[in-house]
Amino acid sequence: MAPPSGLHSSSHPSDFETPFPKLVRSSTVPAGLRSTRTDPSHLAPEDAYAPLSPHRLRAFDATDNVSGAESRTGRLRRKGPSRSGSRRRKRFQKLLWVKQSYPDNYTDQATFLENLQRNPRVRPYDFWPLVADSTVIVQHVCSVILFVVCFVGIFQERVSPVAVVSWSSGATFAGWLLWDFWATQDARGAAGDEDARARIMRGGHAYREFRPPLRQDSSGLDPSSALNASTDHYPQPRHPLSGHADSTGFLAPGDAHSRSVSSFNSITSQTSMANIPNSLATPAPTTTTTTAHPDATDGHDQTTPSDHPQTRLFSSRFYVRLSTIKSAILIYFTLLGLSPILKSLTRSTSSDSIWAMSFWLLAINIFFFDYSGGSRSGVAAAAAATTTTPGKPMPVASLSTNAALMASTVLASRLPSTGQVFSLTLFSIQVFGLFPVFRQCARRRSWRYHVILTVLLVLGAGAGVGMILGDPHHHHGWPWKRGLVGMVVGCLIAAVAMGGCSWWLIGLQKYKNEIYGPWDPARPIIISRRHWEDE
Amino acid sequence: MAPTYNIAMVSDFFFPQPGGVESHIYQLSSKLRDRGHKVIIITHAYKGRTGVRYLTNGLKVYHVPFFVLYRSASFPTVFSFFPVFRNIVLRERIDIVHGHASLSSLCHEAILHARTMGLRTVYTDHSLFGFADAASIFANKLLKFSLSDVDHVICVSHTCKENTVLRASLDPLMVSVIPNAVVAENFKPLDPSELSSDAFSRRHPPPVRPPGPHDMITIVVISRLFYNKGTDLLTAAIPRILENHPNTRFIIAGDGPKAIDLEQMIEQNVLQDRVEMLGPIRHEEVRDVMVRGHIYLHPSLTEAFGTVIVEAASCGLYVVCTQVGGIPEVLPSHMTVFAKPEENDLVAATGRAIAALRANKVRTELFHEQVKSMYSWTDVAMRTERVYNGISGAISEAEFYGYDAANGAGSWSATRGRSGVQSFALIDRLKRYYGCGIWAGKLFCLCVIVDYLIFLALELLFPRDKIDVCPDWPKKARKSTGAVAGFSRN
Repeated sequence: MAPPSGLHSSSHPSDFETPFPKLVRSSTVPAGLRSTRTDPSHLAPEDAYAPLSPHRLRAFDATDNVSGAESRTGRLRRKGPSRSGSRRRKRFQKLLWVKQSYPDNYTDQATFLENLQRNPRVRPYDFWPLVADSTVIVQHVCSVILFVVCFVGIFQERVSPVAVVSWSSGATFAGWLLWDFWATQDARGAAGDEDARARIMRGGHAYREFRPPLRQDSSGLDPSSALNASTDHYPQPRHPLSGHADSTGFLAPGDAHSRSVSSFNSITSQTSMANIPNSLATPAPTTTTTTAHPDATDGHDQTTPSDHPQTRLFSSRFYVRLSTIKSAILIYFTLLGLSPILKSLTRSTSSDSIWAMSFWLLAINIFFFDYSGGSRSGVAAAAAATTTTPGKPMPVASLSTNAALMASTVLASRLPSTGQVFSLTLFSIQVFGLFPVFRQCARRRSWRYHVILTVLLVLGAGAGVGMILGDPHHHHGWPWKRGLVGMVVGCLIAAVAMGGCSWWLIGLQKYKNEIYGPWDPARPIIISRRHWEDE
Repeated sequence: MAPTYNIAMVSDFFFPQPGGVESHIYQLSSKLRDRGHKVIIITHAYKGRTGVRYLTNGLKVYHVPFFVLYRSASFPTVFSFFPVFRNIVLRERIDIVHGHASLSSLCHEAILHARTMGLRTVYTDHSLFGFADAASIFANKLLKFSLSDVDHVICVSHTCKENTVLRASLDPLMVSVIPNAVVAENFKPLDPSELSSDAFSRRHPPPVRPPGPHDMITIVVISRLFYNKGTDLLTAAIPRILENHPNTRFIIAGDGPKAIDLEQMIEQNVLQDRVEMLGPIRHEEVRDVMVRGHIYLHPSLTEAFGTVIVEAASCGLYVVCTQVGGIPEVLPSHMTVFAKPEENDLVAATGRAIAALRANKVRTELFHEQVKSMYSWTDVAMRTERVYNGISGAISEAEFYGYDAANGAGSWSATRGRSGVQSFALIDRLKRYYGCGIWAGKLFCLCVIVDYLIFLALELLFPRDKIDVCPDWPKKARKSTGAVAGFSRN
C-alpha cells in the first residue's frame, strides 16, 4: 500500500498516528517573507551565484501563487486550533484513492506545491563572456552601418561607386583566398583523420556497435558495403568535428556563390565520407552522392590509403574553386543585365517611402540575423544529448538575408545611373551574402581574427558615419578630422552598448521566473530511436 | 434538511462527442439528480443534435448554436452567449452554474455572465497546462480572467490543483480536489459465465489467470496515439519488451498521428504475430479489450487524472504506468508499477510486472472490489454537493473553509474574501478583476462593465416576467428526507 516513492516522504498510511501540528499564523508565514528580501517570488542578485539552495526552495514552496500575493500565504493554513489541537488525525496524503478525514479543499502546508521547481535550468551569465558574445551583433550592426554609409556616399556623390565596388571586390577576393586557404588546411587535416578512421574500421570494426542490427557486413569489394560504411557515420555528426564543420560550413543555404549542387557533390564524394555527417545540414541525400561516384567509393576500399586522399583533396579543391568562379561570373553578369531594370523599379514611389521601407528591411535584417553561427553546433549537441533531436537551423535566417537584399534593391533604385545601381547591388551582395560567412569562419578559426575584425568594423563604421554627417558641400579633401571623431565616438558607443547591455541582461535575470512541476509534460528519454530512424 | 439546487453544467464538450470530460459531466449530473437536485446541461450544437434534448432520467441538454473553432471548442466571443444563456437560466431557475474544461470558451463565458446575473459559479478543471510556451501563457491569462470571480474550483487531482492555483492565482482554499470515478459495473473482470463458444471467444482465448511461467502474458495499451500520450516511448519499448520476454504479446487500441510509427516499428522488427493493433475502438468496447490482457501499459507523458488506469485496474489488470502528472495519486502501489518516462525504465518496469505476475505475487482478482470501494460517482456527487453547500452559504464559512472568518479574512474584508461567499456588487467584482495584471486588469474590468451594461439592456428588452418558467421533470423523492425543498436564492 506504499505510495510511490519520490512523491511522498512517508510510506504507510497506518503509521500516521502523529498529532497534526498546530498551525498558527506566524508559523505558516513562509520564511522568505520574514527575511530582508522584499519579494520572495523574485530572484535576488545572489541567486546568480548560488542558484536556489534547498532552504530557499522550501520558502518558495509555501507561497501560493506566482504573482507573489503575500497576504494570501498567511491563509494557507486551515483547520484552526480549535479542531486539531486535541484530536489525533492521520497525516494528510496526496492520494486520491485513500478516504481521508480532511475536506476536499484542504491545503496541506507540508506537501502543497512541494514539487514546484523555479528556474531549475537557469544558467547565470558572466559579464565578460557575455560581452565577448555580443561582438557578433556589433559586427553585424557595423557592417549594416557601413553599407548605409556607402549608399549615402554614393547618393550624395561624395564617393565614386566604382571605387566602392572595386575596394569591396578586392576585399572579397582576398577574403575568399583566405577562406580557401583555411578550408584546404582543414580538409587536409580531416582527410588524414578520416584515413585513420577508415583503417580502424577495416581492421577492428570499431564502429560496429553504432550500427543498427540489420546492416550487412562491410567486407571487401562490394560497392554497397562502401555505401554502408559511409552511412554508418551518421551517428557521428553529433560530435562536432571542427575541421569538417569549416569545410562545409560554407555550403549552408543562403551562401550564394557555392550553392550549386555540383560543387557540393564533388566535395562530399571526393573528400571522402568525412563530409557526409555535415551534409545533414544540407538537403542533398548522401546515398545519391556516394552511388553517383563509384570510383570514389571503390577507391576507398581497395587502394592503399597513403596517397589517395591528397590527390582527391586537390582535385576537389580545384572543382570547388572552379564552380565558385563560375557562379561569381554568373552573378556579375546577371546583375549587370538587371541594373537598368532595377534603376527604374521604384520610380513611381516617393523617396520617403523608400527610406522608411529600407529602414524597416534593414531592421528586419538585424533582428532576424542568425547570430548563433558557429556556436550552434555546440548548442545542438547539448540539445541532442538531452532530447535526442538534432538541432535544426534557424528558419528565419534566410528572411534576414532576403530583407537586406531587398533593402539594397530599393535603395539602389533611387540612384540615378546604371553604373551606380550595379555597384551598390553588387556591394550589398558582398556585404550581406558573403561577408557574414567570412565573419563566421574567422570567428571559428581564431578568436584573435574575430576581435581584429570587430575592431576594424567598429572603427570603419564610426569613421564612415562621422564623415557622412559632415556638410556635403565642403569638398576640401578628405574630412579626416570628422572621421577620427567618428571613430572615437563609435568605439565609445560600441563599448558602452556592449558593456551596458550585458550588465542590463545580468540585472534582468532576477525577474526570471520559470515554473516547472509535475504538471509539465515529461520529456521522454528514448535511446533506441536511432535504430529505426536513421535508416 | 439538505437544500437542493438547480444546477446548470456548461461545457463545450458533451455527448455525442466521446471523452473523459463528457462522461464526467454526464455521470456527475445523473448522480446529482439522484440526490434530488435539478441539473441541466448546456453545450453547443453538434452536427445532427440541436435544440433541447432529454437524456436518461430526464437530464435536459441545451444545444446552443455556436461556431465551432477547433476540436469542438467553440469560438471565443466574450458576450455573444449572454442573451441565450440568460434566457435558459431564467427559464430553468438556475442557482448554480458549473463550468467544465479549461479549453471550453462556452464555460468561461457562462461563468462571467452568471456572476453578472448574480449566480453562484463553480468551475472544474480537467487538464494540466505548462507555463513555458506562448500559447499556455495566453490560455493562463484567460483562465485568470474567468476565474477571478468564480466562487469555487474543483480539480480532479492534487497535481491539477497545484497547477490551477498557479495558473489562475487562486486561493488554494477555494480549490477542492474531487477525483473522477469509474462506473465499476461497466469494468468488471472477465466472468467465466461470459465465455461462450462463439467464434470470437475461440479466436481470442481468455487469458490464463494466474499465468504460469510459460503462459502467454498479454499487455494491453488503450490510448489515443499522440505525442503527449507517450506513443514514442511505447514504440521504442515494445521491441525490447518482446525481446526480453518470449511469451508476451501486445494489444494496442486507439488511433492517432503516431499510429504510423507503431506500424513501422512492427514491420521493421517483424512483430506482426505478437503485436495486435485494433485501431480506434468505442468506449463501450474498452472493457472487452481490457479483459483480454494481464497488464495494462500506460506510457503517457502528462495526465491530470488518468481514468483509464482506474478502469484497467477495475478490470483486474496489473497497471504499468509512467510517473507523471496526477497518475501517482490515483492507484495504490500494489496495483501499479511506476516507471520514469524513460525507455529503459519503462522496459524494466514492465519486466518487473511480468515477473510479479508469473510468480503469482499480485492478487489481481481482488482489484475490482478494491477499485469499486475507492471510486464511485455517488461519492463524487456528494463531495460536489458539499461545494455547492459551501458557496451558497448552506454550511458556514468557517466549516467550509476551516478557519475563523473574522480572523482569517483580515485584508479581504472588502470583498468578503476570495474564498468567502463572494459579494455580487459590481465594484467588488471589479476589484477582483483589476488585480489580474497591469494592462489585463483594466481590460478585464472593461469587459465586466460591458457585460453588466448588456445585462441591463437585456433586462429592459426581455423583461424577466415575460420569460416562461419551464416545468421541472418529475423528481424521484429523496430517500432520507422524502420531500424536496426548493432552494431560494438569497
